[in-house]
Amino acid sequence: MSLASKSLTPASRKGPSWLPYLLISPTLVIVLVFTAWPTVQAIYTSFFRQYLNIAKFRTPTFVGLENYKTLLTSPDFHEVLRNTAIYVVGTVPTSIVLAFLFALLVNRTVKGIGLARLAFFYPTILPMVSAATIWMFFFTPDYGLFNTALRALGYHGPQNWLGNPHLALLAVMIVAVWKNAGYLMIFYLAGLQNLPTDVFEAASIDGASWWTQLWKIAFPLLRRTTLFVSTIAIIDAFQVVDHIFVLTQGGPSQSSSVLLYYLWQVRFEDQNVGLASALTVVLIVIMLSITVTNFVLSEREGA
Amino acid sequence: MNRKRVLFVVVSLLLVLSMALAACGNNATPTAAPQQEEATQAPEASQAPEATEAATEAATEAPAEPVTIEVYYPVAVDAPIAKILQGYIDAFEAENPNIKVKPVFSGGYGDVKTTIQTTIEGGGKPPALAVMLAADLYDLINADYIIPMDDFINAMPDGDAYINDFFPAFMANSKYDGKIWSIPFQRSVVTLYYNADLFEQEGLQPPDSWESLAQAAEKLTIPGERWGIEWPSGWPYWLFQPLAIGNGQNIVKSPTEVVFDDPKVIEAVQFYIDLSHKYHAMPEGVQKNWGNAPADFAKGAAAMIVHSSGSLNGILKQADFKVGVMAVPGKEPGTYATVTGGGNFYIMKGVSPEEQAAAWKFIEFVTQPQYAADFSINTGYVATRKSAYDTDAMKKYIEEVPQAGQLRDMLQYAGMELSCMNLGKVRNIFHKYLQAAYNGEMTPEEAMKQAQKEADEALSIFK
Amino acid sequence: MTGSKLRKRLTDVFLNILTAVLALAWASLIIWAVVVSFRPESEPLGRGDVWFGHSVTFANYLKAWSLAPFGIYYRNTIIIVGMILIAQVITITLAGFAFAHYRFKGKKWLFFFILLQLMIPAAALLVPNFSTIRKLGLFDTTLAVALPYFGSAFGTFLMRQAFLEVPRDLVDAGVMDGCSWWQLLWHVYLPPAMPTLVAFALSSISWHWNEFLWPLVVTLTERSRPLTIGLVRFTQLGEIGARWPLLAAATITVIAPLFLLFLVFQKQFIRSFLHSGLK
Repeated sequence: MSLASKSLTPASRKGPSWLPYLLISPTLVIVLVFTAWPTVQAIYTSFFRQYLNIAKFRTPTFVGLENYKTLLTSPDFHEVLRNTAIYVVGTVPTSIVLAFLFALLVNRTVKGIGLARLAFFYPTILPMVSAATIWMFFFTPDYGLFNTALRALGYHGPQNWLGNPHLALLAVMIVAVWKNAGYLMIFYLAGLQNLPTDVFEAASIDGASWWTQLWKIAFPLLRRTTLFVSTIAIIDAFQVVDHIFVLTQGGPSQSSSVLLYYLWQVRFEDQNVGLASALTVVLIVIMLSITVTNFVLSEREGA
Repeated sequence: MNRKRVLFVVVSLLLVLSMALAACGNNATPTAAPQQEEATQAPEASQAPEATEAATEAATEAPAEPVTIEVYYPVAVDAPIAKILQGYIDAFEAENPNIKVKPVFSGGYGDVKTTIQTTIEGGGKPPALAVMLAADLYDLINADYIIPMDDFINAMPDGDAYINDFFPAFMANSKYDGKIWSIPFQRSVVTLYYNADLFEQEGLQPPDSWESLAQAAEKLTIPGERWGIEWPSGWPYWLFQPLAIGNGQNIVKSPTEVVFDDPKVIEAVQFYIDLSHKYHAMPEGVQKNWGNAPADFAKGAAAMIVHSSGSLNGILKQADFKVGVMAVPGKEPGTYATVTGGGNFYIMKGVSPEEQAAAWKFIEFVTQPQYAADFSINTGYVATRKSAYDTDAMKKYIEEVPQAGQLRDMLQYAGMELSCMNLGKVRNIFHKYLQAAYNGEMTPEEAMKQAQKEADEALSIFK
Repeated sequence: MTGSKLRKRLTDVFLNILTAVLALAWASLIIWAVVVSFRPESEPLGRGDVWFGHSVTFANYLKAWSLAPFGIYYRNTIIIVGMILIAQVITITLAGFAFAHYRFKGKKWLFFFILLQLMIPAAALLVPNFSTIRKLGLFDTTLAVALPYFGSAFGTFLMRQAFLEVPRDLVDAGVMDGCSWWQLLWHVYLPPAMPTLVAFALSSISWHWNEFLWPLVVTLTERSRPLTIGLVRFTQLGEIGARWPLLAAATITVIAPLFLLFLVFQKQFIRSFLHSGLK
């Protein structure tokens, strides 16, 4: 025993001193080239004016903070920010609540429950663009299945989902929730299965109803999971815009455009490199503050 | 455990497969040959046996060096256009053995433009020739991508006659600064399709004014079953323009001047809204039904639709009733309006004069009347030249499909498609506010005033 | 007692119905797409027509494949996913091993630096990364789509965790036997960490098979476009617009392989996603 612990000296774990650096170098290079460097580059180019589609503005000229000023005064940017906020606030809690509900429902031993789990989870492995392509039919006025179903439920409001400024963003959000809930479900499922079963047993003996077990016992115990799941969901909400390309292209009248989609438009449709870089910086700041907040919060939870 | 093993097999198979594919992917690149490889592998690029044969033949005939040009081409309509175009290329190469034409088919107009943009940005060599949107003219000039064609035209024995044979409506987006920058190729017009059988049943005449259009649409509407008219507005400027032109005021005046807030334009916006709100004959708000409208029309779920002439063939194939086509009626009785659309040939900057000359030769070749006619018959695009309609093939075709002749007749009512400096931006502004008006978020007047203000701003740097 | 039993029974019935309704609502999309993809194009699709009494046809699949080169898109997707997988498996194993096994100067900072990739998701860096790809001359290649993912902070982190769980005695025995570093990695560290690696691999496959925005930006032609881009191009082809059977067939074409793989390996998949999320 003492011999074994003696061999644990740091010296025995040393190869040639350059070896560990060599082993991590591929990963390091990728992070350097595709994460660290582009961040610096985006900040730098955001101080320049450069339109690639206009010959006389093709060479970058230093303009200081002009791009940021443009963003601040642009009604489009304000609308996009608002849409993004609505999108995140609308999809994240909904997905989480549904995910929790799904997890509870399929965490029971009933015949055929595997099928239900499959039904909730399969959207995760579909490409978002394929899912959106199918959803497009469901949103078609007059004969889309979605509207037929809504009518059956007694809904007689506007049906022109993708053309109506009040519904287009909602349509895009519905698709996102449909796609994400099943993915988030599995984290709750794992969490539930890790919960000590005797907690539930004790509760049922006490005659606590299923609902009580659910909200009073299970949910609080899954706080850590919820924190984690919300981080994933929030980051996802910012970085997945694939369905917007298929469903609405940000329209009508910009009403369903969110930050990342707008960034794409500015860079690859308007060819406005400077403004796109400023938008990139905005996005980086938002993303960083979310992930860092999460790190801090989960550290505190863990302690 | 067993499953896990199968899983391993699958994953490793995938790995092996991907390596094998990656290996063969390197030498067998289909269709679209890459730009960068072009430069390094130039000698190999034309190694096809018949090409070298043709080249040696050419060498004995003409002293000119053999030239290879690329044509970027958007395949935007579900027709075997790629094959049709390849047929023309074969015929052209047979006639011009020292020119080799390599078509590159991209998905759509946007792709062609992006391809060229990214190629030039990256310091690569653009194609000699490309078919791009007629409306992109000023953007292409501003970006310094294209050259004017006047030298080539003037070198023709009958250059003026050649140009004048194109329908003026199609040439409207080709001229700038006294020069000609593009030649019409695959062109379409906004068309009002109507179900002639239904009109007859109801004792209606084809509409000749806004009022009669609205009344017919109202009469032909059966709530929940059939719309009187569908008028897509997901990408709205194009199908809207006939309304503005039909009221005597197009929305574009010059490359740096757009007219959005004129009372006549505002009135046109109001008329579109009235069709749903006042006459209840059209779906409300923005209609995202560009794809659905022809199908709705063909199956009787819409008595009329406003759409591209390019949809004619598809509609005729599906519809079991008599299909009428006409220009969109104007406000006053007896007036009509439409607007052209589609793509033109552009010759690119940044390639050798020999290649540019070869590109021009190809343009000349495929715009010959018999080819213009053939292209129109096979694709559903409107033939670009008057003389194309004098060919026997076209005459025979019009006998079978009289609508094709009516499309040509509509050209006399055609105005210029929205085209100006900073087009993407200006068009986005117009779309935003037009849709806001359609959706009732702003009054037409508020919307158009705001659109004008923002568009003027976007254009100010070009004045 | 009986009252609470009855209540429990009722709750169960209610929950079962709720589950069934929700599951059906979620599944309706894929079911609809499969059914429609086998319907003749000429038949009406409105209202309830889809479900009942029509003939079955493969014509939509043939037509979809004739209109767009899905075979090439498949090849590209497989190449991209395969390249990423191979590269990631190697880089994360090596890096994870280095961070778990060795002590070296700056270890903590280097680890933190790599974690930067987790804090700034790639999607946000679309614009500068695009110009990097241009400068590297990789634009419109499958390598361009794959390259930024050759290193994975997350994978490195996972592997490090897995390696740290390998019993020290085992490692020490290996060291005393005079194993070289790669023998140590191969025989001692890797076998117990295999489930983690497979889990990471599966979620990586699924992720990159489905990716859209990045390939949209760095690909241009058929030689590099993956399936997702091909599908969106297809939906935007001129007159495809409302031809739902055709669209459905194209969509099913794109999702079929991964979906079938998923059906067979449901448990592993779910576990892998779980793994991929646990930090």
